[in-house]
Amino acid sequence: MMYVPSYFEFVNSAKLLSGDYALENIASEMNLLGSVRPIILSDATLEKIGSVKLLTDALAKGGMRPSSVYTDIPLDSSIEKVNEIAVIYRERNADGIIALGGGSVIDTAKGLRMLISQGGRDIMRYVGSEMLNKGQNVPFAAIPTTSGTGSEATGVAVIKDGERKVKLEFISSFLLPDIAVLDVRVLESMPPRITALTGLDALTHAIEAYSCLQKNPISQCYAISAIKLIMANLEQALRKPKDKKARISMAIASYIAGAAFSNSMVGIVHAIGHSVGGVCSVAHGEAMTILLPVCMRYNRDYAKEDYSELLLYLSSPDVYASTDAAARADKAIAVVEDFIAKIKESAPIATRLSERGVMKSDFEEIAIRAMNDGALIVNPRNADKDDILKILDEAF
Amino acid sequence: MKAFLKTTVCSVVLHVLYRALKVLVRKDSRIRHEFSSFKDGFTIRITLSTEGPSVVMRKEAGRLSWIKEAEGEDLELKFKSIDSAFLVFTGMMGISRAYAEHRITVKGDIADVMTLVRMIDIAEAYLFPRIMSKRVLRAVPSKERSSLSVYRMVLLGF
Repeated sequence: MMYVPSYFEFVNSAKLLSGDYALENIASEMNLLGSVRPIILSDATLEKIGSVKLLTDALAKGGMRPSSVYTDIPLDSSIEKVNEIAVIYRERNADGIIALGGGSVIDTAKGLRMLISQGGRDIMRYVGSEMLNKGQNVPFAAIPTTSGTGSEATGVAVIKDGERKVKLEFISSFLLPDIAVLDVRVLESMPPRITALTGLDALTHAIEAYSCLQKNPISQCYAISAIKLIMANLEQALRKPKDKKARISMAIASYIAGAAFSNSMVGIVHAIGHSVGGVCSVAHGEAMTILLPVCMRYNRDYAKEDYSELLLYLSSPDVYASTDAAARADKAIAVVEDFIAKIKESAPIATRLSERGVMKSDFEEIAIRAMNDGALIVNPRNADKDDILKILDEAF
Repeated sequence: MKAFLKTTVCSVVLHVLYRALKVLVRKDSRIRHEFSSFKDGFTIRITLSTEGPSVVMRKEAGRLSWIKEAEGEDLELKFKSIDSAFLVFTGMMGISRAYAEHRITVKGDIADVMTLVRMIDIAEAYLFPRIMSKRVLRAVPSKERSSLSVYRMVLLGF
């Protein structure tokens, strides 16, 4: 039965442009929001493979010329980089932001939007949760080039403080883009490994959003839709990378899962996964892939009802009906494990921490960092350092 | 209940919580360990509602002190309404759930929030009856000394 909390909040204000010629409609939508000379943010790889040109050509068709195109964004967005781009934004008199890229580019854009709208010079002032005022209007469109982070649908930005070497979280509904754009032309160049890992990241978002403390009827609907799309399309997107239907379905799934977890938050998989990434440089999607089944087993007794319900969407009505009610949660975890194993047959991904060079000697540092990750607070089951060490051991 | 009554109750409980933390920083090894991660001078403000009263605590020479007023605190937790604060300070809701339900806004590093929440969870295990702690905490921390001795130190100072 769907869970109705005594209180919850839900926001998903981004307008979605999804499908054929979505890029071509951005100029018109940005004009409606008051932007005629936005800055474009992207990265060097996307510039090299022609995705940035695809975007600027599409904007030109709508009569829009960007004030500048900035593609020097690294894999981990940083506060220093945001502050640097803000100077360019002001020098070039830009009046909006279009971000084309993965999580790092979009998070950088969120940081830039925050800094411009609030009027400061250093985003460190705005670290926190839900403490921002709306500020100045800065039209913002996000175009994801991977299908996993869901950053185009979230009010969260994770940006590195290069000086302190820590990642800081900014949470506010005013970080949500005004427009999210899903267009297969910028998605189909994703290599199999990225397709697999980002798809499994989206699956993790959906499962955690469905079962974490702030689950609610709306976020659970979103999570269910995301799971159905992922289970039906991820393998196909790997088998046939040019399959437009599979690609756009995965992009929609990522968007929906992002909206779900932006509201009901993510839990222990992300808390530990962020730390595994921070300490051992394991790719985020890979950390999720490795930790998801182990953490589901850890949460099992506290999220049994949720996992039991998810079996229907992770598998099929036949499997659900033929599984004894008491065994459905375990079956759901087994289905997730089998799904990951199938994906591994099509893409070079790791399913154990040891496969990515994580050492047991890293566990202590990972556990300490995970204890301080905000995601841990909304996990259905409390976890202390010893619990996290056991999870790491099981995932090793 | 009228807002001013809720504000009064919350202010009293918050004061007791502060005094409990001050005692437990010295008397509970886990809270002492958590507290050690804050740098000296680290300042925390807890505000009961948007326009409500607030308390400011600071780490000074390894101890927790009550500060009358401070600017530029390192961490601020602000309840969106006195009714949300009332749920937490009367043991009807844990601070973790209040955060999860977006009832609290945070200015500062989320990692510091996690540290403070763990400290408060342990303090609540001392201050609340077990039946109440079980209702609001995902896991009730064990106690290193009796609640009675903590209450004695909180209320009588010895």
